[in-house]
Order: sequence, then C-alpha cells, then structure tokens
Amino acid sequence: MPLLTFFGSLIFRGNVIRGGAFAICNISLSLILSFILFMQVWNGPAIHEQFSWFTIGSWELQVGVLLNNLSVLMLLLVSGIALLVNIYSTKYMQGDPYIRRYWAYLGLFCFSMLGLVIVDNLLLIYMFWELVGFSSYLLIGFWFTRSTAVRANKKAFIMNRLGDLGFLIGIMILFSQFQTLDVTRLFGADGLVKAAVVSGGSWIGSAGSMPAEWLTTAGIVFFLAAVAKSAQFPLHTWLPDAMEGPTSVSSLIHAATMVAAGVFLIARVYPLFDDTVLLVIASIGAFTAFMAATIALTQNDIKRILAYSTISQLGFMMLAMGVGASGSALFHLVTHAFFKCLLFLAAGAIIHEMAHLKEKSGKDFDPQDIRNMGGLRKHMPVTFITMAIGSLALVALPLTSGYLSKDAILIQSFEWAEGSAGWHRLIPVSAMITSWLTAFYISRLIFKVFFGEFRLSALTGGHVHEAHAAMRYVLVILSVFCLFPVFSFHPLLFEDAWILQGFPQIDSMTRVNAFHTVVPAAVNLISIALICLCYRWYAATAKAPDYSRSVLFKFSQDQWHIDRFYSSVLVSGTTRFAGLLYWIDRHIVDGLVNTAGALGRRLAAGSRWIDRYVVDGLVNFSGYLAGVVGNFVRHFQTGRLQHYLVTMLIIILTLFIFKYYTAAI
Amino acid sequence: MSLLSILIFLPLLAGLLILIIPASARNSYKYVALAAVCIQVLISAYIYLNFNGDVYSGVDTEAKFQLVERVPWINLNLGAMGKLQIDYFLGIDGLSMPFLVLTSIVMLVALIASWEIKVNLKGYFALFLLLDTAVLGVFSALDFFLFYIFYELMLLPLYFLIGMWGGIRREYAAIKFFLYTLFGSVFMLLVIIGLYFSVTDPVTGNHTFNMLSMMDPKNYVDGSIFSALANAEFFGISARLIGFIVLFIAFAIKVPIVPLHTWLPDAHVEAPTPVSIILAGILLKIGGYGILRACVSIFPDAAVQSAWWLGLIGVISILYGALNALAQKDLKRMIAYSSVSHMGFVLLGIASVTAEGISGAMMQMISHGFLSSMLFFLVGVIYSRVHDRSIPNFRGLALIMPRYTAFIMIAFFASLGLPGFSAFIAEAFSLIGAFNSSSINGLLPRWMAVCGSIGIFLSACYFLWTLQRMFFGETRLMGGDKWKALLTDVNPRELTVLCILTSFALVLGIMPSLAFDKMNASVLELIRLVNLK
Amino acid sequence: MIPLSHFMLISGLLFCIGLYAVLSKRNAIMILIGIEFMLNAAILNLVAFGKYDKQVMGGQMFALFAIVLAAATVAVSLAIILNVYTYHKNIDPTTIDQLRD
Repeated sequence: MPLLTFFGSLIFRGNVIRGGAFAICNISLSLILSFILFMQVWNGPAIHEQFSWFTIGSWELQVGVLLNNLSVLMLLLVSGIALLVNIYSTKYMQGDPYIRRYWAYLGLFCFSMLGLVIVDNLLLIYMFWELVGFSSYLLIGFWFTRSTAVRANKKAFIMNRLGDLGFLIGIMILFSQFQTLDVTRLFGADGLVKAAVVSGGSWIGSAGSMPAEWLTTAGIVFFLAAVAKSAQFPLHTWLPDAMEGPTSVSSLIHAATMVAAGVFLIARVYPLFDDTVLLVIASIGAFTAFMAATIALTQNDIKRILAYSTISQLGFMMLAMGVGASGSALFHLVTHAFFKCLLFLAAGAIIHEMAHLKEKSGKDFDPQDIRNMGGLRKHMPVTFITMAIGSLALVALPLTSGYLSKDAILIQSFEWAEGSAGWHRLIPVSAMITSWLTAFYISRLIFKVFFGEFRLSALTGGHVHEAHAAMRYVLVILSVFCLFPVFSFHPLLFEDAWILQGFPQIDSMTRVNAFHTVVPAAVNLISIALICLCYRWYAATAKAPDYSRSVLFKFSQDQWHIDRFYSSVLVSGTTRFAGLLYWIDRHIVDGLVNTAGALGRRLAAGSRWIDRYVVDGLVNFSGYLAGVVGNFVRHFQTGRLQHYLVTMLIIILTLFIFKYYTAAI
Repeated sequence: MSLLSILIFLPLLAGLLILIIPASARNSYKYVALAAVCIQVLISAYIYLNFNGDVYSGVDTEAKFQLVERVPWINLNLGAMGKLQIDYFLGIDGLSMPFLVLTSIVMLVALIASWEIKVNLKGYFALFLLLDTAVLGVFSALDFFLFYIFYELMLLPLYFLIGMWGGIRREYAAIKFFLYTLFGSVFMLLVIIGLYFSVTDPVTGNHTFNMLSMMDPKNYVDGSIFSALANAEFFGISARLIGFIVLFIAFAIKVPIVPLHTWLPDAHVEAPTPVSIILAGILLKIGGYGILRACVSIFPDAAVQSAWWLGLIGVISILYGALNALAQKDLKRMIAYSSVSHMGFVLLGIASVTAEGISGAMMQMISHGFLSSMLFFLVGVIYSRVHDRSIPNFRGLALIMPRYTAFIMIAFFASLGLPGFSAFIAEAFSLIGAFNSSSINGLLPRWMAVCGSIGIFLSACYFLWTLQRMFFGETRLMGGDKWKALLTDVNPRELTVLCILTSFALVLGIMPSLAFDKMNASVLELIRLVNLK
Repeated sequence: MIPLSHFMLISGLLFCIGLYAVLSKRNAIMILIGIEFMLNAAILNLVAFGKYDKQVMGGQMFALFAIVLAAATVAVSLAIILNVYTYHKNIDPTTIDQLRD
C-alpha cells in the first residue's frame, strides 16, 4: 500500500500535460491513498517496509517506507494542500507559455515532498530533502527571465545547501556512531540513540564512541538543516526573496509544505537533541519569530509581509520544539499550513487581478504593493472573507484553528520557562509580544488592502473582479480548515485537539496551572486592542502616525540589514577570496611551475653554451689541430718524384745511422 | 587471446587500418573508429555482465582475477643478475572492471564529439585509437612493467592531440602537460626498478615485475631496499615511505591534487572538446586507479602512515578547487577547476581506508567520468557554435537554447551532488567514510570530513552562479544577432551523447548497486590487505 | 784473385752514380738509367758474394733472376714513360707534379 502511493507519485512526476488535469488526477489519487493510509495508521501500529537498496563494503543499506502518526499526518497535509494548489493553479497560471514546465516542476516537488515524509532512512530523507530544495529552486526561478527571480532561486538553493551540509554532517556523525541510518532503529522508542550514553566525556554508541561534544554537534547540525529549510534566523533571507515565484508556488512551498520540512526533520530526529541544543532551538525560534514579526510591520509588498509572517510562525514551531512541545509544534504546523496557504492564495487572487488591471490599463505600477490597493472588500467579497478568516487564525483569535495551536505553544513555553532559570523567561515573553505584533501587521495588511478607497481607480479607471471560480472554491475550502471544528470540538481548549492526542503526551496537557487561562486571555485581549488601533489608523481615518523617519522603522524596513550584511560581507567576501585564490593559483602555484619551466630553459641555455664552447670546442680544437698539422705537412707533398726519393734516401740513411749507432752502443 | 587482449588491441588495429586507408577515403576514418569503439563498448558490456564481483575480488591473489592472461614476454638471461622476467600479464578485478566500462563509454562519447574535427583526420583518429589502447592497457595490466609501458604510451597521443588540434596556446599547454606527467612517471620508473630488485617470483625465484607478487611481503628478498623487514632508510626516511611518496606523486599529478594541478586548467582549456572529455573522463581516473592499485596495495604500511597527509591534500584540493572555480570567467576553466575539487573527494575517500570511503571514491571516479565528460561536451557545443566560452559574454541562453539549458542544468545539478544522480552517492559516501575513519582506524580526524562537505556547498555556489549568469535572464549576447543565429539548439548527434551520459549518471544514482555489487568484494579485500600491513 | 772489397767498391760507386742520376736528372730516361745503375750495383754484389755459395750457386741464380726482372721493369717503365710523353709531351719529372696536393 505505501509503495502504491510511492508509485502514484512517481507516475505523477512524469506529467507534462497542458492544463494540468493529469496533475490534478494524480495528486487526487495521492490524496485518496494518503487518506486511506491515514485511516489505517493513525494511532494504530506503524507500517514499516524495507528492501535492500545497495551494499557498500559489507554494509547493506536498507531503505523503505515508514508510516507512523507523524508521516501519515504530513502525507495527508501535503497531498491535500497540493491538490488545492493544483486546482488553484489551473486558473492562476492559465496562459503562461511555459505551463507544461510548471506542472512538471510542481509534480517533482510533490513527489519529493511526499517521499520526504514517508521514507525511513536518513540518507533517503536527505535525498528527498535536497530534491525538495531543487524543485523549489526550479519553481522559484520559474520565470527565469526575471533576474530577481533567478537571483532569488540561487539564493534559496545555496542557503538550503548550507542546511544540507548540516544534514550531511549529521548523517556522518550518526553513521559513524551507530552504523545505521534507519530512522526507527535510531530514534525509535528503544532506539540506538536513546541507548547511547554519555559517560566520562565521551559519547558511546553501538558501533563506536566519540567525544561528547559530537552529540551536541550532531544536534546543532540537524538543527542547522532545519534552520535553512524552515527559514530561521540567520538563514531566513531566502524566503522573502523566494516570493519571486508564482504565488501558487509560494503558498504551496513557502507556506505550507517545504518550510515545514524543517520542523518535520526536527520531529524525526528529536531524541538526538540534548539540553543545549534544545535551548538553542528555542532561543533561535523565539528570536526569529520576534525579528520576522518586526520586519513584517513595515513591509509594503503583500507577499513579503506574508513571507515574514511565515518565518515568524515557523519560529513559533521551532520554539515549541525547543521547549519540548513537539506535539504542539506539529499541530501548529498543520493549522499554519492551512491558514497561511489560504492567505497566500487569497493574496495571489488579488495580485492576479491587479496584474490584469495593470495589463489592461497599460500603466506601470507594482501589483503586489499594498499601497496601491484599498477598498477591494467591495469588489472581491469572497476573497475578503476568506482572507479575513485566515488572518484571524493567524492572529489566533478564539474559534479558529490558530488559536488552538498557538496557545498550546505559548502555554507550554511558559510552563517550560517556569521550571528554568532567569533569562529563559525571555523566550515565552518574546513569543507573546510576537503574537501581538502579528495581530498588528496582519490587520494592517487587511485594512490597507480591503478597506478605504481603491487608490488606483484614478490612475487606471478599471475595475477589479472577483477571482475565478476554481480559485474561489479553493479559498473557501481552505478557510473551512482554518476553523476550529476540524481540529478540536472544543473551540477554546487545545488539549482536545485530535492531532495532539496522536503524539506523545506531556504533563502540561492537563490544565494544572494558571497559564492555561491567563495566557490566551492576555494574548487575545491585547491582540484585539491592537486590531482596533490598526483599524483606526489604516481603515477608518487612514491617518497613521508617520514613523518612517525613525531609526527603528528603517531598521525594520531594511529587514534588519541582514541581507545587506550577507551580500556585502559574506558573498563578496567569498568571491574576493576566490578571486584571491585564483590569483594565487595563477601567479604563485602556476607561477612556480612556470618558473620551474623558465629555470629549466635557462639551465638548458647554459648547458647549450657549455656544450657549444667547451665540449664541442674540444672536438673542434682537435679537428683544428689536425688541420694545422696537415697544412704543415702538405708542403712536403710537392708531387716531384725526385723530392720523394730524396726524402726516402734521407730517411733510410737516418734509420741506418740510427740503427748502426744504437747497435754500436 | 583472451577477451581482454582483444579489447585492448582492437583500437590499435583499427588505428592501423586508418593509417592504411588512403586519404581519398578520408570520410571513412571516423566510421572505422566508430565501429571499433562500438565493438569495444559491446565487449566491455559483455565483460561487465559476466563479471562476478563476489568471486573475483582480486587485489592481491591471481586466482581471484577474472580473464587472466599471462604470457611470458621478455625473458632475458642476464647471467649474474639473474633472469629478467617480464610477463604480458592482464586481469581484471572489481577495482579495474568499472573503469573498462567507463573508458569504453567515454571513448564512444569522445568519438562522437570528434565529428567536429575537420583537419588532418588520419592522424587524429589514429592517435585517438592509440590512446584508447593505452588507456585500456593501463586499466588491465598487472605487470608493473607492462603497466608502465601503457602509462607512458598514453602521453604520446595526448601530447599530439592537444598540441596539434588544440586552441591558441596549445603548444604551451601540451608541453606543460607532457613534462608534468613525465616528471612523475620517470621517478615512478625508479621505484619500479627498485621494486623489481626487491621482489622475487615465489614460483620461479626470479626477480619479477608482477604487481601481485609485490603486494605480498613474503616475496621480498631479505635486505633489499623495499623489504619491510630490512627497513632501509634514505635521508632518515624509510625507503618504503619514499617509494610510496614517489608513486603517489606520479599518480597525484594525474588526479590532480593541489598544488600539482596547474597543468589541468591549461590542458583542458586548450585541448579540443573530445580530448577534454577524455582527459577529464578517463585520465584523471588513472591517477586514482593507480593510487589504489599501486600505491596503496604495494605499500600499505606507508599508505597508513601518510593517510593523514593524503586526507589533508584531498580536503585542500576540494576547497581550493571549488574556490578557484568560483573565480573563473571562462566556462571551461571553471569546469576544470571543479574537476580538481571533485577529485579531491576521491583522495579523501581513499585516505580514509574504510569500505565506505573507498567505495565512495570509486563511485566518485566513475560518476565524475560521466559528468565531467558531459560538462566538457556541453562547453564544446557552445564553443563550436560561436568560438567563445567566456561566461560574461552570454546571458539568457535559456530562451534561445532551451534543450541545451535543460541538459546543462542536469549536468550542473548532477555535479553539485543532487540526489538521484551518481555524484551524490559518491560524495556522500566518500565523506561518510572519511568521517567514519576516526572511529574505525583513527586515520583521519573528523574535521576533514566536515571541511570536505563545505566543498559540496561551494560547488552549489559556483554552478548556480554560472547558471544564473549565463542562462537565465533576458537574452543578451556579446556577439549580438549574429551569435543569436549561430546559437542553435542541440542537434540529434549531440542529443544522443547527452542522453547516454545523463542516463548513466541517473541510473547509477538511483541504482548504485549496479556499481557497488561489482566492486564491494574487491574493496573489502583491499582494506584487508591494508590492515594486514 | 780480385778481392771482394774491389767488387764492393765498384758496386758502391755504381750505386752512387745511379743514385745521383736518379735524384738529379731532368729526364725520365736518365732516371731510368740511374735505376739500372743501382740495380746492376746490387747484382754485382750478388755475384760477388756468390762465391761463398758454391754448392747451389744461389747468388748467381738470384743475379740472373734479377737481370731478367730488371729487363721486364725497364720495359714497363719505358712504356709508362712513353705514355707520359704522349699525355704531357714532356718527360721531365720535375714538371709532372700532379700528385701534389
């Protein structure tokens, strides 16, 4: 059965048919199968099937699928949202010349995402993890002629790659320690990670031991992977830039599924984390949530606001992971997936209309800038209502799903801080402030877009219409999922939510202390107050106090200067360094070689000189000598017979005399 | 005549045939060559299919080699110096078999790429086939003398192929390449001779060049320089270590390692496309193969001693190559530097002496063989159209060459280790092996693997940056409309090549067992040999 | 009985005359005659010494052989001189010096 889903999505990957009917069929099939699986597995025994993939050395790599509560939940979520986004895309992307590619990319993405959640082996997870990054690279850069889009997709992939690096190092550590990458064997209830103990400064696993720092390192690097994928500080900057992709893609990838993969990974390897790492996770989560919320306050691009809001919400999830509330984190993941997807799709509908308007009027304006919108409530009522519901869920007002999950996180983090030392308390407090900020920025968005006057009516004269039916229905369906009954029958008590029941319970699930009443009340009251303030500023009077000159405003508008810091310091630093190294390579390393070559030639020239004047000189000299002697002797060669005879006579006489006298002696 | 000999000498025969065919039939040269290479591919495929990786684990036992062919070749009675015994000794095991297949396929690809060659066809194809013979010989020779002959024989055709059919600075590049390699191999010859006088054949008692005999410490003559027991020393360093280092340098120049790599970018940039393909696809692997077959197997003790340095060189090559690639403006030079980076993984994997590391290194060599061939082929496509390959001169190629862009994306992403392609498995396991090494045999510290993985990250940077600069965005070419007309999309011939290479990279990525199953036993055998010391 | 020393004296005189003729004459014929003189001096010596060998008469036999040989040499030499003359129109050996370098 799980294999069938697998193949279903494999077939699905191959689709390139225009119009995407095939894509929708396939994803529906996936959805149905996931639903069946969900029913079968949820709170029941996990399904785990394996086969041997390959053997390396003597070590056999077993891979397969693992379906437990976590994976079937994600399976359902991913295929469900993917189906909705597919339907939405049929209209949203209509008329794009490269739509075939769009469906193919989307299919690849869904395949890798589904694969990611069901496989049971870290190596395979890593593979799908990168494939997810790759397909999102393709999708962000879908409009590849826009230079901002390709820059954004490059940035996204490279930042994700940094996370992948962490993942890979984590895999290396675990493999080295336990000689297996099987998720159940590693992280199961009686898995190897739990069995491994830290003693005497070294971490002893089933197959080896290493210094205890590597345990923390392993946790940190897995977290690094999640940080990159889930866009946490300091690797969050790719997500806002990734909004260059089609909005439907943004909603699928950057709101609902891909960014959730990081949280999913954390949940998968949760037993690995020791206290230090958990603290790091919580702090980073809280910080990210806060930072992203402050940035969202001042952005004007509708998608950017939502992107930063996503980062902020992911921060919440990380925070929850860090404080030990993994169930709540996943709960928030699910609810967030729905309402953020809804918000993005609604925003997409607005942008779609604005873009049409731009095309029709021929005027140049940014269809994503909320300063250009306003009063759309009358023209696009369905969108308005659904978006409002989504926003309410985001703010976590009662009766929405967001209320259930976010309160769960807040309460548990307060309880966690209760039991910990001094500055840990900052974490829940900052989370609370963040949720108030959330209320502010999202209501600013809503009021600016839907209330007041349409600011461009003078410029364009055109009308905006309600989105196409397919898009509308999707919005409505999603907004249903943003309401409480889907998750819990009790609108106010998150403890009843069925998703939470499916995960390991923790103590705070029972209402034991005051936090359970005080926190939601405080959050909601102040949130509502802020919304009212917002209404007064942006909708009713449209006279918000102008802070745009203040340092803080600029700081927020420039996204805390993080991007600028990266590009000016890290990126150009790296390229400079690379340039320097190349220079070294050309001039020093290669220079050395060339110097050696030149030296060789000098040497050759020297030896040539020696050869010519010393060695050859000797030869020539002997020849010359012979010549001189010959020239001297030739004078005797007169050609006259009698001279020869005289010579002969003289020689004979000399010999005779010589002989005679020597004989005498 | 065994199958192996046929495989090796078939190209030579075809080359001779080409020399005989009169110049009036010059169009037939490439078809003759193509036929020879195709037969070669078929034979190697047959060898691959019939190769039993578990039984024929090879490495140091003759009985464990497949297709062994051992004919006495040179038998000279040197009187007091004993008998000179050189055998024509061939055989394959799991370490060499994959390279035979790789060579055949890369040669096929290179040959198809040679369609672009227009001048002096007779010489070109004859040299090409001679090179083919030499390479196959290197991969299957088990007698060190024979190995050396084939090894040197490779240089000759390459020198001419680069020097005559290359680019503007071809002579400089050719000479640099030639001298660099010769530098290494001359010293290698010294070590070979030293080994010859240290080793005797256990059967005949003669000195021998047999590599397998060299791997067994029992065969060393007492008191000879390379005998482990005698522990001879030069300048205070043990002779075996020096022997290892000399052999290593000879092969490392081929690999190449930093800082002995500078011949590579020049040779690649100046060489014609098919020769670049052969250089990157096969010749670099001879370095890695040589390190495994000769250095590590014959001097296992020295290999263990210097593993730390090997690993360090590997890591430096990875990072240094990657950063240099980042700084390039010439597409071909960038790919050349990326080769340096990728081959660093091979060294790192070998240095780890773990099953994962060495298998990863083998896989990396095979995968890099396919992918670098593909990359150089792709560069050749664009270069043959407009005779320019400077990255800043192109922009937005995706619009005018969509299929080409698709392939280049595949090649780039496969090279940077996207899962599903062979490079991913290879790099991941090289690194895992390197990391694992400190737990298993304590040879490499863990930070090396961590630093090595940064290389994977950097490779994403330079590939994606290039992709962004050259292929995306609005089309803007330096040569204007003239270029636009010239830059046609890939033609069917190129498409065939690219499809072949892509499918190999993909198949190996999805089913790595196709390669691993054949070489596992050999890798384990090698590790056993090293641990035996 | 004429003592041996007289024969020696005569033959030495003859040899010196011949030698002088060979070295100084400007005519090839005269040189030839000088050679004959020297040859005859040697033959005279052979005959003179022949008296010590009465059993086989080796000296006289050799003298006869040398005379015959001398005749043959003269014939060949004259033929050469004749040829030289036809070629050079001259038989002065001092002018015929083509053998020099």
